[in-house]
Amino acid sequence: MGTDVFQIAVNCIKLVIVFLLMVQAVPLLVWLERRGSAFIQNRFGPNRVGPLGLLQLLADAVKFLFKEEFVPANAVKFLYYAAPVAALVPATLAFAAIPLSTPVSVDAFEMFGQTWGPYTFLWQGYEINVGIVYVLGVSSLAAYSILMAGWGSGNKFSLMGALRASSQIISYELALGLSIVGVIMMYGTFNLTEMIAQQQGTLSFQFLGHTITSSWLPNWGIFYQPLGALIFFAATFAESNRLPFDLAEGEAELVAGFHVEYGGFKMLLFFIGEYGHMLVASALMATFFFGGWGIPFVGVAEVQAWAATVVGAGTSASLLTGLVHFMVFTLKLAIFLWIFIHVRWTLPRFRYDQLMELGWKTMLPWALFNTVLTSIIFLIAHS
Amino acid sequence: MNPEAFLFWFLSIVTVSAGLAVVLLTNPIYAALSLAMTMVGVAAVFVTLNAYFLAGVQLIVYAGAVMVLFVMVLMLFDLKAEIQAFSRGNLSGFLKIGSVAMLGGLIIGAIVMSSNSLLGNNLPDLVVEADGSKQLGKLLFSKYLFGFEALGVLLMVVAVGAVALARSKGGTHAKH
Repeated sequence: MGTDVFQIAVNCIKLVIVFLLMVQAVPLLVWLERRGSAFIQNRFGPNRVGPLGLLQLLADAVKFLFKEEFVPANAVKFLYYAAPVAALVPATLAFAAIPLSTPVSVDAFEMFGQTWGPYTFLWQGYEINVGIVYVLGVSSLAAYSILMAGWGSGNKFSLMGALRASSQIISYELALGLSIVGVIMMYGTFNLTEMIAQQQGTLSFQFLGHTITSSWLPNWGIFYQPLGALIFFAATFAESNRLPFDLAEGEAELVAGFHVEYGGFKMLLFFIGEYGHMLVASALMATFFFGGWGIPFVGVAEVQAWAATVVGAGTSASLLTGLVHFMVFTLKLAIFLWIFIHVRWTLPRFRYDQLMELGWKTMLPWALFNTVLTSIIFLIAHS
Repeated sequence: MNPEAFLFWFLSIVTVSAGLAVVLLTNPIYAALSLAMTMVGVAAVFVTLNAYFLAGVQLIVYAGAVMVLFVMVLMLFDLKAEIQAFSRGNLSGFLKIGSVAMLGGLIIGAIVMSSNSLLGNNLPDLVVEADGSKQLGKLLFSKYLFGFEALGVLLMVVAVGAVALARSKGGTHAKH
């Protein structure tokens, strides 16, 4: 956590901020989803409360808080109450491990008659050396909340939805895990920060003893692993139970799937969990394949030099640099989130057998193929 | 008590009580959920030992595996009959006593055998750098290759045995 009081305090505050960052993104995303769907379907969407309808979600949250609190007669009380909380936790834990920007170095300064040594703070909840493994492991726990909700509600529709969701998540987790094996091989590390560091600058790689460089393409993972990126992105749709993979909710068949029996704020917690998974998926997509917080054509040193001319060198320049890169990362996140939303309102839902066929007979073999191909190319290129 | 010791004791109590719940609860659903909890607890203990890679793998592999078990329980079992089959009958009583005896023997054996080598200070320095997944992979595929492969065969045997047991006479979804 840190060596002295100041560092520990800042790190604790950072954890809270990362959590709030995720939770606060949800109302904005819901607003974007409703306005975006209205835009796609040629209608207005919520536009009465506040400017552009931005306060609609605040009003909704207040309404959710004041809803009647009820438990279905057949429900298993403990599981029924635990499921919404369990839905929130995995996404939060995973998001906190993703590096959001460049580290901030704080010079030594005086406070309370004491000198506080130079620090380096990371723009993330905590750094883990095996970031990928941790994020995948934690987010695989999300399926339990769905199962708990399905079983705990004591409703046949809920149970059907939960069964569908769990079998879907098991099926697509294989493709998801395999699709990033190529990425891990390419960067030679599990550490997300090191991955981003390797994607800076312009495209350049070694092949058969020659160094091949491009003058304008950024050194992003997508140019090395296009198939892996495609499979990964498709599998994350299935993992976060979004259309076209939202068989677990299937309104036409299952009413609303695993959360039929939930109302009020408990239902909203499931919502936050789903959007949290979208956020994690988008952040991983940006980190693995699109350079993370890196700005194409502009290095970190150049941003730092610019920041030093604006606010003066030292702590504030470092902070400004971090802020700029954080904005870039947010922009990349926003693009992927918009793709998530756009796909939801563009594609129809799969049939269940089509879903399983896509997972096991299409995506899994292609992910395996990608892994084998990457390793063969590596063997040739480094020989 | 320093924070690390507190964390260790807290996690151990959670893990062990979840593990006990797996065995003691008669409802297979709760047993499966407790198993998941046990796995998460073990992963957390790995984290406190700085073995982050093992913790992550523990979560991915076992959380997924328990999920499969859960689905199996929900879809294949006649839950009421299963609860009765677990909690009644002379044969299952003998099986329980036998398993407890075997487990007790294992624990005692492990303590007796390991007290010399593990607790003594004559061990070679096996500690590699924190979460050295590379060293782990190299060790698994060179020095401990035989054990690794034998474990794979063992798991295969267990899988086949589970299917054979489930389909033999007396189970809730036996061949008719």
